[in-house]
Amino acid sequence: MDLAIKDVQRHAGKFAATVAGVGLLITIVLIMNGIYRGNTSDGLWLVEHTDVDLWVVERGRGGPFNEPSRVSQELYRSVAAIPGVVQASPFITYTVQRELGGESRQFTIIGYDVLGGLGGPPAVSVGRSIRAARFEVVADKKLGLRVGQQLHLGLRDYSVVGMTSGAVDLGGNPLLYMALPDAQEVLYQQDNEAIRSARVATRRDIEAQGYSEQEAQRLLPVAGAGDTHTVAAILVRLAPGQNAEEVKRGVEDRLFLSAFTTAEQRELLLKGRLSKMTAVLGLFRILLVIVSVVIMALIVYVLTMEKIRAIATLKLIGAANFVIVRMILEQSLVLAVVAFVMAYALVSMTYDRFPRTLVFETFDTVVTFGVIFLGGIVASLLAIWRALRVPPGLALGGG
Amino acid sequence: MSVLDVTGLRKVFGDGHEAIVALDHVDLQVEAGELVALLGPSGSGKSTLLLCISMIVEPTEGRIRVNDQDVFVDGQSRVNVRRYRRENIGFIFQSHNLIPFLNARDNVAIAMELNGVGAREARRRALVLLDYLELGGRAKATPDQLSGGEQQRVAIARALANEPRVLFADEPTASLDTERGFKVMGLLKKIAKERSSAVIAVTHDERMIAGFDTVKRMRDGRFVADGGGAPAHGIEHGGNDETSAEKGK
Repeated sequence: MDLAIKDVQRHAGKFAATVAGVGLLITIVLIMNGIYRGNTSDGLWLVEHTDVDLWVVERGRGGPFNEPSRVSQELYRSVAAIPGVVQASPFITYTVQRELGGESRQFTIIGYDVLGGLGGPPAVSVGRSIRAARFEVVADKKLGLRVGQQLHLGLRDYSVVGMTSGAVDLGGNPLLYMALPDAQEVLYQQDNEAIRSARVATRRDIEAQGYSEQEAQRLLPVAGAGDTHTVAAILVRLAPGQNAEEVKRGVEDRLFLSAFTTAEQRELLLKGRLSKMTAVLGLFRILLVIVSVVIMALIVYVLTMEKIRAIATLKLIGAANFVIVRMILEQSLVLAVVAFVMAYALVSMTYDRFPRTLVFETFDTVVTFGVIFLGGIVASLLAIWRALRVPPGLALGGG
Repeated sequence: MSVLDVTGLRKVFGDGHEAIVALDHVDLQVEAGELVALLGPSGSGKSTLLLCISMIVEPTEGRIRVNDQDVFVDGQSRVNVRRYRRENIGFIFQSHNLIPFLNARDNVAIAMELNGVGAREARRRALVLLDYLELGGRAKATPDQLSGGEQQRVAIARALANEPRVLFADEPTASLDTERGFKVMGLLKKIAKERSSAVIAVTHDERMIAGFDTVKRMRDGRFVADGGGAPAHGIEHGGNDETSAEKGK
């Protein structure tokens, strides 16, 4: 006779409520798994889905994502001239907070050479890629835009011509792809007053060098006030079989820039911006598992204490310790397994409505199940210890 | 031949000046099918005697033999105590002590399964026992769906599950009204006669022991006098002389 199952059947309502409680805890553990992997997946998406071999940035900078990098967009021609480089393209990326459809939304703009350059969206799920030199965009579907919709950014309207799916920046914000000049315009666009103020400040700097007011006025365009022809990085594709390290050294030595392979860029992100969040999420995962096991232990202990007289009776009528241990252990494992199944079902049904990207890997799920299963065993130890110490005479009373 | 033979049984709790002698050289012989009533005030040692004979509490000294087999000799247990209890002793408790999450049939069957009987056979035999105790129609009822008397009869069925040589009943009527109490005691008598099990019943209620073969009174861990069977209608209450409560010899 399976005493554990009989007890569960007898107290089905209580057991269901307990499973629901533990199941919700495990749901949070699984969601944390998803956030943990999703954080890394989001963080690396752009690097892994931009089909390039080298990322060239401002000298001494840690890539275009870990810190700001600013290089002249015309440098792409010099990079393209380095032996072993097949193609080089200017690339700009920055995050903005703008009104979209009457709602303030945060998203990242990617500006690239839309006429055959590198850095565009890897795949367009709806609509088409950008074909016109200006005023067309491809948006990720998380932005809630539609193909054919007009998008107002800065002083201009842009046509949404295509949609991507799952294109996000390091923080999980959706991406908006547009032509490089458009991206630069949105980034650097200032109102007239700001432009006037910048010019006045630059002219004063020139005059402070001993130039007259007229000379300073003529030198203003050369001084670069309001120059918007800068980019965050130059993207490079190498010739097949080309040694990336050699080209990298060539770029760094000849052009006084820094270059990273995609693998290095990936490592930089993992060790830089993503590392702390990954560590925090990992710690949360561990804490949640511990809390789940502790709560399971308390529940199993309480359930056992409620049966303590029945356990004494079982001992009195000759039940071996194995029978008692099996009853408690089985109940604990049934609780753990059913709660896990409930959590898994709940997460499977709801993960796509979660505001952040959740990525579930079979390995994580199997390991979590294993940990929860082991947790179920650990959780029952205290109750087993207590049950084995119950004297059978407890069932009789004194006299 | 005695099915239960207890000689010089002694149980001391604690030691030194704080030692409490709960049983003081108790001798008890019970034949198969014999009904023995243990009477006495609280703390007199009745339940301790049952606990010691069933090896729930290990005696300090003395000898216990059940069914011609040594159970406890020279301060040492000679048996696997849980197996000994499973195979030789049935318990009936004051508060029935049914397993609350098992129905009546399973409460009886579990005792058999613990003794190695297969699940299906245990359930079949449990139904036979419940029928014997006129509870066949209540086999699927859980303890909270049974009356006190019904619960006690299920407890009796469980105690009989492994056809024990000795049946211990610790205040079996204490939680029942008088009418149900008499019915339960009547059942114990029937069981002793029909199944040849020795029945040792601890009770405070002297009215319940009518028809018992032997009445033993305990005080301060000793039998104060040995008696034969109780009168057919129980013992008159109120007498100061304890031996007067016993069957007049």
